[in-house]
Amino acid sequence: MPHGEYKTPGGKLVVVDFDLHDGRLTHVVVSGDFFLEPEDAIDQIAQALEGLPAAEMDEDAIAARVRQALPPDAALIGFSPEAVARAVRRAFA
Amino acid sequence: MSTPTSKPAIIREETPEERQRWRRYRWQLLIGPAFDPPMQMALDEVLTRRVGQGRRPPTLRFWEWSAPAVVLGRFQSLRNEVNLDLARQYGITVVRRITGGGAMLTEPGRVITYSIYTLPEHVEGLSFVDSYAYLDNWVIAGLRALGIDAWYEPINDITSAAGKIGGAAQARRFGAVLHHVTMAYDVSPQKVAEVLRIGQEKLSDKGIPSAAKRVAPLRQQTHLPREVIIDHLVAVFRERYGLEPGELLPDEIAEAEELVRTKFGTEAWTAALP
Repeated sequence: MPHGEYKTPGGKLVVVDFDLHDGRLTHVVVSGDFFLEPEDAIDQIAQALEGLPAAEMDEDAIAARVRQALPPDAALIGFSPEAVARAVRRAFA
Repeated sequence: MSTPTSKPAIIREETPEERQRWRRYRWQLLIGPAFDPPMQMALDEVLTRRVGQGRRPPTLRFWEWSAPAVVLGRFQSLRNEVNLDLARQYGITVVRRITGGGAMLTEPGRVITYSIYTLPEHVEGLSFVDSYAYLDNWVIAGLRALGIDAWYEPINDITSAAGKIGGAAQARRFGAVLHHVTMAYDVSPQKVAEVLRIGQEKLSDKGIPSAAKRVAPLRQQTHLPREVIIDHLVAVFRERYGLEPGELLPDEIAEAEELVRTKFGTEAWTAALP
């Protein structure tokens, strides 16, 4: 099961675990010691990565996908959509 | 990335305006009695709700643990963070709290844990990051008065010249703000390292890992009994902000017991992130 981690400098750790099915991410779990409001936004972040093609190499594109899935009032403390994207790519490194 | 790469140390004393914000409320103090780990998690939720509903004044609670626990942050993966076999072997209960942040090992008499339950207006205008240091300013002052060279290390660390003392975590939930802190009083770093999995990535921007993660428990730094330190911190809070003795209400305890049954004592919650 692919597993990627990235720690934002001065911030917190983001961990991404998932399965691969037909070249796409599935059963995605995003976890870490970050702070996030509202708490349900954790599901939206994971949902944003479901079905992502494993061939997607562009961290900005992955980050944009995460950002788009977040509610407008979401607060990410100690991490960012970019940090999530980097953790995803690290799972393939 | 939005997070700063340099972490300024915060020692500064609060301004009169900042102190005045605390003094808008009639703070109530709860100390003990001892509860088991799932009940502690549930009480935090119940008391946060009560303050948000205006059914209890903003409250400071010092915890007593009746049993050892690994307390996971709201967004941590159970398997990634905890050596479950070893935790079971040691008789440690694994629970998940409602705030984010990192896992901690808490044992009766070996940590000092407190919660602040307040209203969002109390920290209005402050960023999330700034509100951490703001809500713990009295503790930094209290520790410094005990002769500890303590300061706040953003986002959420209480640290000192001798090493890290503790960490804070917050949730904005139920119309209120929960801010809780656990400080090491007499922890065994050995046991922490055995039970919690701390990956290399987490240590990656902190220089030499062993030095960066060095914990400096309060017992070692003060040679004072735990109760004396708690009494001192309570006195600092009371002197600054006012504080009246309070008690947990029977229906608050009953509501927490129900939450243990339906949430905090369930596998579904503890393994919410598997």
